[in-house]
Formats: sequence, C-alpha cells, structure tokens
Amino acid sequence: MLDRLLTELPQFLGYYNVIFLAKAALATVALAAVGSVTGSLVGLLLAVARLTRSHWLAPIRWVAVIFTELFRRIPFLVTLMLVFFAFQLSGVDLPLFVVALTAVFLIAAAYLAEIIRSGFESVHRNQWDAAQAMNFSLIETVRYIVLPQAWRVILPPAFAFFVMFIKDTALASQIGVIELTYAGKVLNNKGFSAALVFGTLLLLYFFISYPLARLGAHLEARLAGARHQ
Amino acid sequence: MSYTLQFGQIWPYLPSLLAGAWLSLQIAFVAFCGGLLIGTAGATALSFGAGPLRRLVRGYVTFFTNTPQLVQIYFLYFALPDAGILLSSYTAVLIGMTLNAGAYLTDIQRAGFESVRSSEMEAAEVLGFGRMQQVRYVILPHVARVLFPPLSNQYIIMTLGTSMAAIFGVEELTGRAFNINSQTFRSIEVFSVTAALYVVITLVATVVLGLIGRFAFRARMRLV
Repeated sequence: MLDRLLTELPQFLGYYNVIFLAKAALATVALAAVGSVTGSLVGLLLAVARLTRSHWLAPIRWVAVIFTELFRRIPFLVTLMLVFFAFQLSGVDLPLFVVALTAVFLIAAAYLAEIIRSGFESVHRNQWDAAQAMNFSLIETVRYIVLPQAWRVILPPAFAFFVMFIKDTALASQIGVIELTYAGKVLNNKGFSAALVFGTLLLLYFFISYPLARLGAHLEARLAGARHQ
Repeated sequence: MSYTLQFGQIWPYLPSLLAGAWLSLQIAFVAFCGGLLIGTAGATALSFGAGPLRRLVRGYVTFFTNTPQLVQIYFLYFALPDAGILLSSYTAVLIGMTLNAGAYLTDIQRAGFESVRSSEMEAAEVLGFGRMQQVRYVILPHVARVLFPPLSNQYIIMTLGTSMAAIFGVEELTGRAFNINSQTFRSIEVFSVTAALYVVITLVATVVLGLIGRFAFRARMRLV
C-alpha cells in the first residue's frame, strides 16, 4: 500500500491538482465564513426579537423561537437537501455554492441566535433594570449596555461554531459544491488511490482547522481572563 | 412552474421512515456508548497517565476533533480496503462515529474531571474519607452533575450526525429519505417529513435527558 502511495505522489502533487485543491480549500473556508457572518447578523436579530415584551410583537417572538429550535434539530444534510430542492422548484438558477451557503446560513443563524441569547443572559439583571430606569429603549439597551459586555461571552463559542462548520461543510460535496471533500472525490475518481486522496484531505482539513481552533482557545482564555478581573 | 405539495404520496412510506429513525437512534446510541468508553479511558489517561500516554491521547483528540467526520469515514470505507481491511458501510460508519465521539467525549470528560476542586478533596480527607469513599461520595456526584448537560448535548448532536450514514448507503432515516425520494420524486415532501421526524426524536431525547439530569443528578438543565 505504501509503495503505491509513493509512486502516485509525484503525479498527485502536479500543478493543476494543487491549484484545484487550493481553490477547493478556499471554497470550504468561504462557505463557513460567509455563512457564519451573515448567520450571526440574523442570529442577533432573532435574539433581540426574543427579548421584546409587547403583545403586538408576539408573532415575531414565536417565529424567532420556532426558527432557532427547528434548525438546531435538523441535520445539516437534510437542511441542505431541502434548500437544494426548494431552489430547484422555485426555478431560480443559482450556483450550487449559493445553495449550500443558504443552508449554512440557516443553521448558523439558529445556532448563533442561541449563542447570542446566552451571552445576553450573562449580563447581570441589574444592568437591564438600570437601563430601563434610564428609559433606554430595547435597541439602545442592547446597543449601549448589553453588547459591550456580552461580546466577550459570545465571541468564543461563535468562533468555535465557525471552526466546526469548516468541517461540517464537507457534506456540501453531496450536492456537488466544489469544496475540499468534493475535490477529493474527483481526484479519487481520476484514479488516485483512496488512501492518498482522503489522507491528504484529512491533513488539509487539519491544517485549516487546527490553527483556528488554537486561536479560538487563545481568544477564550484572554476574554475570560479580562472578564473576571 | 407550479408544484403542488402532495404529502398523500408520502404517507404509505411513513412506516419505512420510522424504521429508519429507529436505526438512526440505534447508531447514535451504540456510537455514543462506545465513545463514552473511549472518552472515559482517554480523560483518565489525560488526568493521571504518564507523559507519552498523555501525548498520544492528546494527539488522537486533536486529530479527530479537527477533521470532518465525513472524511474520516471516507478514509475507513474507501482507503482501508487497500490495506486488506474490508468494512461494510454500516461498520465503517459505526467505527468512524465512535472514534469521533470518543475524541469529543474525552475532551468533555477531562473538563468535568478538572472541575473537581482540590479544596473539595481536602475537605473529604479532613473528614476521614477513604479513597473509595472519596470517589463514591465526592467525585462521582460532582462529576455526574457537571458532565450530564454537555454529555446529553453531545448525544443530540450525534443523533443529528447519524444522517451522514446515508451517504454510505446505510438505510437510516436520511438514507430511507434518499431512497423514497428516488422512487417518488416528491423531494420537498419527503425531506420535510424527514426533518420533522428528526425534530421529534431530538425533542424527545432533550426532554427525557433533561428529566433524568434534573432528578437523578440535580443538574441544571433546560427541558426545551
């Protein structure tokens, strides 16, 4: 097995294969990054929506609760298929990358809404009461009082979510998005041995994910330290 | 383009989907139990083991938590036959999920072990507790209370993770959905019913685990 790997290696590391894999790796990171950033914006809206108290806004609260509960309980693969077929039926001709991005976005919004909500809960009750006593509106309270304190609690798990999704987007290969795992399958179909191709994939994912995970751990240690001073 | 939802064509397949859901639960349960064994051994090694053993376990955890489970299973399923090890898709998925779970559960349990403060152990010693009494009355209740919520969370994540088995042709919930979709072409209907079933089984799991956690271990858990 090993000698076969060694004989294939020079050809495997050819110019076009390396470029192909690099582009695919970029797509993998872009999928997770763009999905997480857009997801966090909508997640923030969902978390704020759940804080409203007015009777008139009750339907919005319910939508926010149902959305966050639902998309955290559906596997990424199933969400991906639903989005894929929904786009197909609507007749809109979008690149597969956008289809996968939509699925990542939906799940990211749900998870990040929950992360942001628990960040909000970490801010002491007195702070909310003080804001109310000073006649701050909900938006002002979140903007000037809660977020400046809560972001330290929110950032580490949100970053961990992003790193987790770099790995989870491997499933997007199932609908044909050209990301790292799909690129690996293409190279495997071209005749390179599975051990070589999938071993390389494991290493590539590791070299993307590990430094980011370390950065996340560092971030968590620093922010938690600053918080308890 | 007009497409009318026709759930009527899906109902005859509901028993098949439910059987798939049952298999999903089984895969999640077996992989979780296997992972828990690996995790307990791994966390014990990390807390009390010798240097080389600790480095080995740390390497295992770092590697498996930083690579996608899907590619790990691809490797087991497609690359190991080159070395003469032929696994069925079901076995490959189960081994992959167990090893992956073992890595995450090692990390979770290590954090739980570390949460026992040395002052607690000193207090137990002052009270004249023997080694086994310390484990029985101080360490285990504390660790169970701290660990139960993240462990049940991991269980839910793993239940969702079993959908990956569909890619290898295992007929669990998502696998059945793929098959029914290719027979009926009612894609949206099949996958939304599948999604609903996942929501139901994870909700049931959350409530059951939450009740166990609250009453058996006095853990602070949300029920929904």
